[in-house]
Amino acid sequence: MTTTPADVESTVKDFLTSIDKLPEGFTADTSLYADGAELDSLETAELSATLEDVLGSDPYSAGEMPETLAQIQAFYAAASA
Amino acid sequence: MTSGTGYEPAAHYDRVTEAWGLLLGDELHYGVFDHGDEALDVATAALTERMVQAARLPDGSADGRPLRVLDIGCGSGAPACAMSEAHGVEVVGITTSAVGVETALARAAARGLAGTVTFEQRDGTANGLPDASFDVAWALESAHLMRDRPALLAEAARVVRPGGRVVLCDLLRFRDIPFAEVRERRDDFATLRAAFGDAHFASLDYYATGLTDLGLEVEVADDLTQATLPTFDRWRANAETHHDAVVALIGEDGHRDFVRSCDILEAFWRDGTFGYGIVAARRPH
Repeated sequence: MTTTPADVESTVKDFLTSIDKLPEGFTADTSLYADGAELDSLETAELSATLEDVLGSDPYSAGEMPETLAQIQAFYAAASA
Repeated sequence: MTSGTGYEPAAHYDRVTEAWGLLLGDELHYGVFDHGDEALDVATAALTERMVQAARLPDGSADGRPLRVLDIGCGSGAPACAMSEAHGVEVVGITTSAVGVETALARAAARGLAGTVTFEQRDGTANGLPDASFDVAWALESAHLMRDRPALLAEAARVVRPGGRVVLCDLLRFRDIPFAEVRERRDDFATLRAAFGDAHFASLDYYATGLTDLGLEVEVADDLTQATLPTFDRWRANAETHHDAVVALIGEDGHRDFVRSCDILEAFWRDGTFGYGIVAARRPH
């Protein structure tokens, strides 16, 4: 199954919404950390687990530390290539 | 900016203050157990006394005026009232919690301290108080709730006069926790967050070095991890004793999270991940 950028976007946005941390005007290039969604390490771990649960894999467990939605989407794009 | 999760210190404190009075005891902080079998109130008073001694409150001021103490993250105001009654100091307590201010003001009024102990809703990382206006900046177990710790230390150092002291006791982190471990143990950390709010721990060296870098001379940097360990037994006992009242205040889930948090923290205390310490530093003349 191919993971589309839209799948990743909806998963990340749903997660940020669930923890009340979806910034106004959120885009693929908005930081997930400082000056953006302001995730801490525990919330990042929870995002990691959510991505794995929903999409079957996640970049954080693969040793990457993406800082934006675009970088997360790039991980899945590379995995599908 | 985001709109928040309810784990921010003020929101969390507003929600749990009354229940914590039953669970943590009147002083709302850890205890220092010199023998291990003391009652919780004796041990929490012993921790306060450690802070008092580190702040040199019994020494008073050189010119005989009352010492002025800034209590950063003053909780319910019990330590502020106690130190004023015991040592004749003037205290300004600050907290971001409106409920905390209300509770503390009522406590001070009930104890006849309204003129000498005051409480205001202010942020410890940007307190807005004048430079060099206090003899002591005191942070009893509040630093872990302030994300911008450099600002906390800088603000505390800024408001103390030459010869004055910054004293701080708090939970400590003794090792870095790798991301893989945070992910693996995320349920434990989430339980701690649910029970105690959005907390972040630093090392004893972090505080000592930070105050040194601000031009202060460190006088005390003590690890109190073992001495505070029995606190968890006392908190669990309180949770059992006051089960129905606590559930009425924070629900069955809140009660369960608190008890589970005691188990998790005790395990972290024992495996050397987290602990407790006190730091005091003096601004030179």
